[in-house]
Amino acid sequence: MDIVVCVKHVPDTTEAEIGIRDDEKGIKKEGLVFDINEADNYAIEEALLLKEEFGGSVTVLTVGPPEADETLRMCLAKGADRAVRLTDERFEGSDGYATARILAEAIKDMDYDLVLTGCMADDDEAAQVGVTLAEMLGIPHAALVISTEVEDGKMKVHRELEGGLHEVLEIELPALFTIQTGINEPRYASIFGIRKAMKKQIEVLDLEDLGLAEDAVGEMGSKTSLVKLFIPEVTTQATILEGSPEEVSSELVTILKNEGVV
Amino acid sequence: MLRTRNFVHQYDLLRCIQCGRCTAGCPLSLRSPLNIRRIIYQFLVRDQLDIKQIPEIWDCTTCTTCTLRCPKGLDPALILIGMRRVLTEEGRIKPTVRDALESTFKFGNPWGRGKAKRADWAQGLNVKNLSEGANAEILYFVGCTPSYDDRVQAVARAMVKVFEKARVDFGILGNEEMCCGSEMRRLGEEGLFEFLMEENLETFKRYDVKRMVTTSPHCYNTFKNEYEGLDFEVQHYTQFVADLIQRGQLTFSGEVNRVVTYQDPCFLGKQNGVYDEPRAILQSIPGLQFVDFDRSRERSLCCEGGGGRMWVEASTGGERLAEIRVKDALELGAEVIATACPFCMLTLEDAVKTTGAEDSIQVLDIVELVAQAIGDQ
Repeated sequence: MDIVVCVKHVPDTTEAEIGIRDDEKGIKKEGLVFDINEADNYAIEEALLLKEEFGGSVTVLTVGPPEADETLRMCLAKGADRAVRLTDERFEGSDGYATARILAEAIKDMDYDLVLTGCMADDDEAAQVGVTLAEMLGIPHAALVISTEVEDGKMKVHRELEGGLHEVLEIELPALFTIQTGINEPRYASIFGIRKAMKKQIEVLDLEDLGLAEDAVGEMGSKTSLVKLFIPEVTTQATILEGSPEEVSSELVTILKNEGVV
Repeated sequence: MLRTRNFVHQYDLLRCIQCGRCTAGCPLSLRSPLNIRRIIYQFLVRDQLDIKQIPEIWDCTTCTTCTLRCPKGLDPALILIGMRRVLTEEGRIKPTVRDALESTFKFGNPWGRGKAKRADWAQGLNVKNLSEGANAEILYFVGCTPSYDDRVQAVARAMVKVFEKARVDFGILGNEEMCCGSEMRRLGEEGLFEFLMEENLETFKRYDVKRMVTTSPHCYNTFKNEYEGLDFEVQHYTQFVADLIQRGQLTFSGEVNRVVTYQDPCFLGKQNGVYDEPRAILQSIPGLQFVDFDRSRERSLCCEGGGGRMWVEASTGGERLAEIRVKDALELGAEVIATACPFCMLTLEDAVKTTGAEDSIQVLDIVELVAQAIGDQ
């Protein structure tokens, strides 16, 4: 099974203090640690598990700056066969639609049975690229996939729905799945492994290589435009309970009961 | 499958006489199927070994009791670390271990905490920060756990109080301090250890470090015995403080009227022979009544916090060694279990809670007892 996995190199913001750029169109990236997008890490693992069981190849693909090589190298260290980075200044400002367009151009001529993406990127949380990409490639898709099974020429996938429901779909290949976190347990890429992956080549393609028109990418190729990014003001609606753990916990139970939560 | 031949040569296993002193002394044998003698035997008689079928290799705390007891001078704990290396390189490790390793690579600490928050424990204290241009005679290497863990931060603050009382000219590296790598190496991530060693050596050079004192025996051990090219004196704080007291540079104005026993950290005692200094400090504190565990010094029972075990739950259930330790301390009539290691502190505190002994016994670091006895300045 030949699998293409789309990954994104994103800032790890769980513990960081986030600052907004002066133009209000992005966050300040100085001092931030970047890593593979969490859901994409599960997507690459799922691809590697499928390859280990059924053979084939795993190609990892990203739209991003040269620094995104760190994430690609980690994927190579984990066992991906090929890495491609799509980089061009004119790609900057692309929304989910334009990003999917760039990826679609790179993928459409590849031999593949399956395309995997994470279900959502940790930075913009738009969850658009996967499903839009499927539409552009003209293949069926399933979003928020939490388990996969291979059948003859088809795959069976479980999806997580609202209210704790699970849906099972049978899908003809080639298809695209957006992978939910928790589907597997991502493996560790050791430092020696990553250093070894430095020797593997990363293919870099730009606008011309992809044969895309300039107005199909970046802000011109986007369907949405970012107006403003800001940090919401801190409101004072929070109540801080004080006292011993016993006092605080009994007060909390009272509040939860009064609010009808429990 | 692992070919056994290279291991046999690398660790000199043909010298093993299968006497079993290693396994007989292993503290984990109380609660784990871990049997290092049998593992060595399998290396000797088989061509290949499936390490994945021996999950108990992750139970080892690398306390090195086996190494101390081996009559042939072998280092059985190293063999287990070598086996972990194979699995870590394959990437097939427990998620908790993976997360600790990834966090250490990204943020310089295994606790998943931001780099920029490393020196938050020192807020409100007047501590010199070498990374902000200050100079000091001694680098106080705080360590990851005292930097970030709520409980152990109090140990770092007590250290500052003691240093100030003794007028020690010291400073910290602030947000440029990074994990020493000791536990990463023992979790089998040799590449990460090398990376951290290179980064740290460069930092020490950049700030012209001439002498270092550490909170943790784990940092102390790895800097002193494992860093290649570290050319200045490294001391564990118990050595440094015992010396301050002996030279009269640190005097007590208060008393600690409590019965105190002492948990020997394996990385301080068994691995570096530092048994007397911690006891000398405790015995110099006015009012303090010191009682030693029956199993103490070389025979001390490991707390299970070393060898990366802070991120690995044991493969089997059964009473935790730290729980046995708490019960032993209660039997001794101790009111305080003193220790000198952040990991011992955390495992023993957990055990005090799980044995329901919170009202009868407390876990304190030696430096916290010293800070209590020097009173307010």
